[in-house]
Amino acid sequence: MDPTPTNARTGNVLAVSELVVSYGAGTAVDGVSLDVRRGEIFGLLGPNGAGKTSTLSAIEGLLTPHSGSVTVDNIDIQKNPTGARARLGVQLQASSFQSELTIEEIARLFAGLYSLDLTKEQVAARIRGIGLGDELGKRFKSLSGGQQQRLSLLIAVIHEPVLLLLDEPTSGLDPQSRRQLWTLIEKLRADGGSILLTTHSMEEAQSVCDRVAIIDHGKLITVDTPTGLIARHRADPRVVKVTHGEVTLEDVFIGLTGSEIRD
Amino acid sequence: MTDMTYTPSAASTVSPRIGLIFRSLSRADFTVLLRSSRTLLLNIAVPILYLVITDLHTLLRLGGNSPAGWTTGFTISLALTVGLMSASVMGYAGTIAQDRATGVFQRLRVTPAPTWAIMTSRLLVQIVVAFVMTVIVVVLGSIIHSSLFSVGQYLLVACVSLTGGAMFLAIAQAIAGLIRSAAGVNAAGRVLFIVFLLLGLLGASGILGDAVQDISDWTPVGALINVYSGVLDTAHWDWTNTSGLIATSGYIVIGAFIGIRWFRWESL
Repeated sequence: MDPTPTNARTGNVLAVSELVVSYGAGTAVDGVSLDVRRGEIFGLLGPNGAGKTSTLSAIEGLLTPHSGSVTVDNIDIQKNPTGARARLGVQLQASSFQSELTIEEIARLFAGLYSLDLTKEQVAARIRGIGLGDELGKRFKSLSGGQQQRLSLLIAVIHEPVLLLLDEPTSGLDPQSRRQLWTLIEKLRADGGSILLTTHSMEEAQSVCDRVAIIDHGKLITVDTPTGLIARHRADPRVVKVTHGEVTLEDVFIGLTGSEIRD
Repeated sequence: MTDMTYTPSAASTVSPRIGLIFRSLSRADFTVLLRSSRTLLLNIAVPILYLVITDLHTLLRLGGNSPAGWTTGFTISLALTVGLMSASVMGYAGTIAQDRATGVFQRLRVTPAPTWAIMTSRLLVQIVVAFVMTVIVVVLGSIIHSSLFSVGQYLLVACVSLTGGAMFLAIAQAIAGLIRSAAGVNAAGRVLFIVFLLLGLLGASGILGDAVQDISDWTPVGALINVYSGVLDTAHWDWTNTSGLIATSGYIVIGAFIGIRWFRWESL
C-alpha cells in the first residue's frame, strides 16, 4: 500500500473516468465521468434505476466495470482494491450488520477489518461520540432506525477514510434523526472529510452539497453547484414547465429527468 | 452527539493486517453462532435427540425392538451424521443465504478484508462447532450405552467428524451457490435434509431391499455412517467402509467445486 500521506498529494480524492457498467445486454452506467474534491460534499442525484447505485458499486470495487477507471486518492480500485478500500468509508443503503452483534462488537469488528487494534475504551469513546454511549451492549436489531444510521456512519468513518460514500443516508429517518445525521455529516466535512452521497431529497442536496451531479439512464446530465445548476437551467423550457414560483433544485431535477414515476 | 473525532487519512493508510482481520471476523462469527438458538438446536439438540430416540435401551423400555444391526457404534454414527447434516445443510446454508440477502456480505466486502477470509472464518467456526458437537455426542453416547472406546477410536471419530463436517459444508456451499434467494436455499436445505436422511436410514435398515441399500451406501448420509461405523469397529473394516470414505471425499470435492464456482456474493 502506498504510504504517502494524503495531504502530500495533489488532485481529487476521487476520479471516475468514462465509467461503463453493463449487466448482460443492459447498460446501467454509460460513460460517467466525475470527480470529488478534497473537503467537499458531492451529491449524486437521479431517479430510481438511473445508475447511482451501480456507479457507487463500481467506486467501491464491488463490480468490475466494462470500461473506464476509478481512482481513490490516486489509487486505481481495479489494480489495488485493498489499498483503495482502506481509504474509503462506506455507508450502504441497507442497515447491513449482523443483528446478533452488539454496537460495541460491531465497532470492534470493523475496526479490526481496517487493521485498527482499538482498546475497549477507545471503542467505547467512539460510540459515545455519536451519542450511543448508553447503548454499548445493545444488539443491532434492538436499535431504532436513527440509531442504526448513526452507528452505520460511525463504522464508515472508524478508520478515518479519505473519502466517505453515503448511499441515501437519511432514507426512512424521522425529521429529528435526519437533522442529527446531517449535523454529523457536516461536522465530518468541517473536519476536512470528502463525501460523495446519493439522496432523493432535493432540499437536503441543495442545502448541504457543495456540488451536485444529475444522472439519468446511466448518463451524467449535468454537474455544478446547486445555485449554479439553478442559474444555468432556470430558463430551460422543461424546467420552466414544472416550476411553481422560485426555481429550486427539485424543479431543475424534475425538468431534466422527467415527471414520470420510475420503479 | 457531535463529539466524533475525524482526521481524514490518518488511519486509513495503514497496511492491512491479515491476522487481525481474520481474528476480528472469527470472533464476530463465533459470537453470532453462539447467540443463535437455531444453531444450538441444529448443532447440539438434533443429534442428542437422535441419540436418545435411537437408543436401544429406550426402545426396549417402550416395548419395541431395535432394528437389526443398530449397534452402539451405528447409533452414535447416526446421531453424529444427522447433527453434521442439520448444522450444515439447514443451518450454514440458510445463514449464508440470509446474510447475502440482507447485505451483511456486501458490507464486509467494501472493507479491505479479503473475500477468502470472510468465507474461511465462517467455515472455521462451523468446523469448530462440529468438533464440539462430536465430543458431546460421543461422550453422551458412551454413557447411555455403557460403552467405552479406545483413545484411537475417539481420535478417529474426531477425524471423521471433521471430514463429514467438510462434506456437508461443501454440499451446503453448493446449495447456496446454485440458489440465489434465501427462501429457496432454506427450502432446498429442508428437502435435501429429509431426502438424505430417509435414503440413508431406510437404505441402512435394509427394509427396502439390497438395491436401495447399495444406493444408500453412496448417499452422503449412508456413506458417512459407514465411515463412522468403520472407525468405531476397526476390526471389521471392509469395502463398505472404504466406499463410504471414497464417497465422502467425492462429495467434498464436487460440493466445494460447485460452491466456489457458482457462489455469488449478491442475492440478485
